Amino acid sequence: MNDASTPGPAPDPIVEIDDLKVWFASRDGITRAVNGVSFELQRGETLGLVGESGCGKSVTAMTMLQLIPSPPSVIAGGSVRYNGANLLEYDEDRMRRIRGNEISMIFQDPMTSLNPVLTVGEQIAETAVLHRRLGRREARELAVEMLHKVNIPEPRRRAGEYPHQFSGGMRQRAMIAAALVCDPKVLIADEPTTALDVTIQAQIIELMLGLKREFGTSILLITHDLGVVAETCARVVVMYAGRKVEEARTADLFNAPLHPYTQGLLAATPRLSTAPGTRRADRPRLHEIPGMVPTLKGEQKGCSFAPRCPRASARCGEQAPQLQAHGDGHVVACWNVGSA
Amino acid sequence: MDAAPLLEVRDLKKHFPLERRPWGARRFVYAVDGISFTLGHGQTLGVVGESGCGKSTAAKAIMRLIEPTAGRVLLDGEDITAIPRTRFRPYRKRMQIVFQDPYASLNPRMSAGDIVGEALRNFGVGAEQRRARVEWLFDRVGLHRDAMRKYAHEFSGGQRQRLGIARALALEPALIVCDEPVSALDVSIQAQIINLLIDLQRELGVAYIFVAHDLAVVQHISDRVAVMYLGRFVEVGEGDRLFAEPLHPYTRALLSAVPQTRGSGAPPRTLLEGDVPSPVSPPSGCHFHPRCAQATERCRQQAPELRDVGGGYRVACWLHAG
Repeated sequence: MNDASTPGPAPDPIVEIDDLKVWFASRDGITRAVNGVSFELQRGETLGLVGESGCGKSVTAMTMLQLIPSPPSVIAGGSVRYNGANLLEYDEDRMRRIRGNEISMIFQDPMTSLNPVLTVGEQIAETAVLHRRLGRREARELAVEMLHKVNIPEPRRRAGEYPHQFSGGMRQRAMIAAALVCDPKVLIADEPTTALDVTIQAQIIELMLGLKREFGTSILLITHDLGVVAETCARVVVMYAGRKVEEARTADLFNAPLHPYTQGLLAATPRLSTAPGTRRADRPRLHEIPGMVPTLKGEQKGCSFAPRCPRASARCGEQAPQLQAHGDGHVVACWNVGSA
Repeated sequence: MDAAPLLEVRDLKKHFPLERRPWGARRFVYAVDGISFTLGHGQTLGVVGESGCGKSTAAKAIMRLIEPTAGRVLLDGEDITAIPRTRFRPYRKRMQIVFQDPYASLNPRMSAGDIVGEALRNFGVGAEQRRARVEWLFDRVGLHRDAMRKYAHEFSGGQRQRLGIARALALEPALIVCDEPVSALDVSIQAQIINLLIDLQRELGVAYIFVAHDLAVVQHISDRVAVMYLGRFVEVGEGDRLFAEPLHPYTRALLSAVPQTRGSGAPPRTLLEGDVPSPVSPPSGCHFHPRCAQATERCRQQAPELRDVGGGYRVACWLHAG
């Protein structure tokens, strides 16, 4: 289940995001939600996209499928290439043929993304009717088969039920079934387990990895949970305040994080310790990242983490650091890496 | 355990009646179905469990924010469940609560200073003294004194939770019930709040009941931990023992489900099948038996009691009954 140790051999990107800029215009200024983000999703890999609320990870993902209404959003630059073609140039008609067919997305809250007045079976079948031009009956059979694949007991009976009759974990399974019914090449999973209990989360993660092995889907997994990333992803992109600050293989990121933000994030996360004899009194204080995430309104000068950074120098406040390579596949945007 | 614990809870139950159907018997949600524990001064009891296990209901029933159906709650040896509502106010002073969503629990039309000072006013503290106390509280929880004039919407999530903590501390309670106080916060802010709670406990000697679903957070902050499943405690004991050598099959499954950032040392995962059953018609015998790989006929028929397996460590499982 842990495929974190198998980085892809030669780069073979299925999705390439290059210098993506997504801004939101409002009366009190421009919010630069995504401010020049680039990364590649390799064919067949699971890539983690992590960061805290408001770092731009969901906006990045939604932009990939043109799911954010414009206005208020403005794509201020960059490209999202899928198999070489820039999706940002697609009109709504062509985009529809991509969504759910080539690239699928699942969301955090399955209750709000499932239609309450359609049966679960109908919703899964709908995608197949649209993209595969299947007949109603065929599509319905396929829906039952998909529900079976995502381990829903009594799939035939369940297909005729409505989302509110499903538990949270089952709804997320149904969403995954709907997302995978057309065998998409890419699955974007936006906090797919955040609303779930840990035991159900473990089931869903297991399911996603199993389906990935079966269908060879490339997965972009967006999450704030570093534990989930450690268990599922081969590589990770860390975002902060609309920018990518670090990218590395999962093992490298956890063993030797380079960016002060990544280091802080890891140190601030309480770790479950199953070793005996860790008395509460002996436990070290959690590391705090002082202050809070900056507002993304207006022009940003310098590194956006500088105000909270223990290693910030005068230069950090003046000039935004560029991404630089530090070893195999490990890039970081920080002036002070190597100097500490 | 001390001679007189701060809090003693005995067989506490909260059953919510469901709407009666035209025919058929009255049905109940057995949200809390008989929990017992003690908590010493300045100690922290962590309560963990999945959604719907009854942990928040238990927290509220202990404080009588909702009336328990049965059972006793003793605060410093005095049975507070027997006290009439009209004379309950002095006891409120001794126990306070911090909620998960700091936004929903702060009045949007009151300034931050008034929110924190309201309880003091209710208990007749004069304006002068009140101001001094509120200032002290703001300092203590790491909020700027200028923020006293601001309103809840002007604060970030972490600051709002600081405000909630300041309000809870205003009357110098002996016990604060924290109901998922950090689960709505980002990791970096969560660490700030956890450290603050620990510092305040060291300084002021306040006891916590810390209800949360995040096991790592609970481990970090708790002296003792109770694992709850479908309205009952299945395992209660010292945190370091519970996390290192869990005895109940549910605790084991729960711990193994937590994704680890350092994978190598983790025990192999025990995946639980299915979902938590409904608390309206909980399974017979041990509530966990339908999902338990080691369940026997006895588990299906007879509910195991929480039994001391040595050193005050208690487990409700037939596997550990003898």
